[in-house]
Amino acid sequence: MARALVSVASLGLLLLLWWYATEVAQLVSPFVLPSPGDVISGLARVSEGYMGGSLMEHFTASMSVMLSGFLLALVIGIPLGILMAWIPIMDRLFGPLLTVLRPIPPPAWIPLAILWFGIGIAGKTFIVFVAAFVPVLVNAYVGCKETPINLLNAARTLGASQRTILMEVVLPSAMPVILTGARISLGVAWATIVAAELVVADQGFGFLIMNGYRNFEANIMAGGMLLIGVIGILMNLGFVWLERVLLRWNAEVR
Amino acid sequence: MSNLGERAYAGVLMLGRGVTVLAGLAVWVVLWWGVVRIFGISADFLPSPADVFSSLTRLVTHSIGEGPLHVHVVASFLRFMGGFVLAVVVGIPLGFIMGQYRLLDWALNPIFESVRYIPPIAWAPFAILWFGANFGAQTFVIFISTLPPILISAYRAMQSVDPSLIAAARTLGASNRTIILEAGLPSSVPVLVSGLRIGVATGWMALIAAEIVAGTGARAGLGYLILIGQQTLQAGITIGVMLVIGVLGGALDYALQLLERRVMHWR
Amino acid sequence: MTTTIEYRNVSMSFGTGAQAVRALDPTNFKIGNQEFLMIVGPSGCGKSTLLHVTSGLLKPTTGEVLLDGQPITAPGPDKALVFQNFSLFPWKTVWENIDFGLRINNLPRDEREARVRHYIKLTGLSGFEHRYPRQLSGGMQQRVAIARSFVLRPRVLLMDEPFAALDAQNRAIMQEELVRIWSEQRSTVLFITHSVEEAVYLADRVMVMSRRPGQIKEVIDVGAVTGASHWRTRPLNDVASDAKFQNLRHHVWESVRSEISPLVGA
Repeated sequence: MARALVSVASLGLLLLLWWYATEVAQLVSPFVLPSPGDVISGLARVSEGYMGGSLMEHFTASMSVMLSGFLLALVIGIPLGILMAWIPIMDRLFGPLLTVLRPIPPPAWIPLAILWFGIGIAGKTFIVFVAAFVPVLVNAYVGCKETPINLLNAARTLGASQRTILMEVVLPSAMPVILTGARISLGVAWATIVAAELVVADQGFGFLIMNGYRNFEANIMAGGMLLIGVIGILMNLGFVWLERVLLRWNAEVR
Repeated sequence: MSNLGERAYAGVLMLGRGVTVLAGLAVWVVLWWGVVRIFGISADFLPSPADVFSSLTRLVTHSIGEGPLHVHVVASFLRFMGGFVLAVVVGIPLGFIMGQYRLLDWALNPIFESVRYIPPIAWAPFAILWFGANFGAQTFVIFISTLPPILISAYRAMQSVDPSLIAAARTLGASNRTIILEAGLPSSVPVLVSGLRIGVATGWMALIAAEIVAGTGARAGLGYLILIGQQTLQAGITIGVMLVIGVLGGALDYALQLLERRVMHWR
Repeated sequence: MTTTIEYRNVSMSFGTGAQAVRALDPTNFKIGNQEFLMIVGPSGCGKSTLLHVTSGLLKPTTGEVLLDGQPITAPGPDKALVFQNFSLFPWKTVWENIDFGLRINNLPRDEREARVRHYIKLTGLSGFEHRYPRQLSGGMQQRVAIARSFVLRPRVLLMDEPFAALDAQNRAIMQEELVRIWSEQRSTVLFITHSVEEAVYLADRVMVMSRRPGQIKEVIDVGAVTGASHWRTRPLNDVASDAKFQNLRHHVWESVRSEISPLVGA
């Protein structure tokens, strides 16, 4: 109880300081730091229509590209991770490639993607895919590798074939880790689409911020950042809820 | 004598493993080269491994922007260190204090949590506005992205200190400051190093992202090089520098991994 | 068809070269049809290894294990293994856990249902069919593990300290339950325990193992002392005060005790 009070008080104090510094004492130029009021009015303006699209349209633009890249990463990354964990040759073949490509930060792919795909949806989808791919693959791999050996032994003594063990023991056991990987990957995908849209600014939330920057509209910039954060939180919460529903049997799921 | 034999055996195993890794890589390089050759892909689009190699070697001696390759490596590195060191200097003490003083934890945590969901790169435009596109923006973005893991690890390190140790120190009359310095610090080193490792990984990613978003407003840096490569249709430079970034990032992580292992060894 | 087990020169070493650890010295031994064999010994004496080799999960470094004259080469439902930490599949319900072995061995559906139902009743799990393992107590989980093994009508039942994770009261209850379930369909049992009392109570014979490298130190014929009315057919409470029981227990304890080393892992 006390904790909640302190938290609210602290946030409230910060908000107050911000409002005071920007609107009352005018310590900083609104070009540098927008006031809370400016941000809200900016958001209202954007929701009605901004730079060739309503808020909903920008949202859909960002979301659809991100989801395409993310789903592609799931569809390719999860099976590949499982195969690498299960079949040694796959591990030896793809492992080194991954070791080399993994430390290349996803944003580093942006120029190459532009070179290959131009400044369109395909390029952005590719970048999101590259970013989302690694956490999904690694988690699928680790999840399978860390199947408790007792469960593997139990299945073997019950007469399970290798295929049965993979489908009925390894995969269900790895599910929590795989889902966590997907959740992390979603966060990365979201950050990546924002980054891509900052560079190739034609639509979406990243574009909102970049365009705000170019038009000296600091309030739009801040508003865009806020929306991005809120969507991030909501997606994360949604995923946590999904994990809880799918993994009812798991004591560790909070 | 058998110890030497064991060491030799382990060495041979490692060599064998290294060979398998190289073999695996070789397959992909050959595939890459084969695809370029067989499909006659233009070098602007997908250069062959040889093209990438020659582009890189050329870059070592010839200048692009402010200088040859090493100038850009240094520029990126300076930005990285700027943001990273700042995050360490702010994050570790703050994390420790928050771990020790609950009230401060309660007060600062919600601010932290609400900002955490804004991807660090989203700060880039503001950072450019406030600090300029050549150095300040990138440093700021790196700082923003590196601070959370470092702060959290310092916080956890403080919390994980054996409470009986703290109680013992207190009964001996130690002040809070002494407790932090003499009881908290040594036992928290492993957790800290782990946090540093995560911080380096996120920071390195943020560096490149910030450099690319800052675009050609900066005139040096690895991200800048990749952009130039794309803009001047020199894919060899783009891919080559991407690999350089990967290798450097991997090397940094490996170095920290060694440090981590060393530090864990004490336990 | 009988279920006798024979060990011919079975030994087990782990690792190679200078770091090889010999867990089990060459062992020759015979276990009789439907015998209830208890194995005791200090930690690290190779009892678990022996069990794993018998189950077919481990291939012995030397020698072979024969089940009714046939060498054991792979694990299977005829050699059921019950673990100390239950090893239930946490994402499956009680019913699904017990049904699992039957399903993967392609038994027809009505047969499966009948058997699962029977063993759920037999192990006292009625009403819990649709619970998940994490919702059950330790004792209940072990019942599921036992049911999961028994439902396949194994010829050999291998139990690796199955009751060690239970509190004393649950342990006593489970011992009685096990005997009850076992009497219905007598597999040959190998049961590892640290409790000398449990060993003497349940056994036809008790095998005492030496410390590492494990060898058979002594085999005590409990059946010869009890005659036809085994102690396990009566509550432990009644039996505990029997002088012969106490003597035997003391004997076994002394035998084990001298093997226990003060050093950890020796």
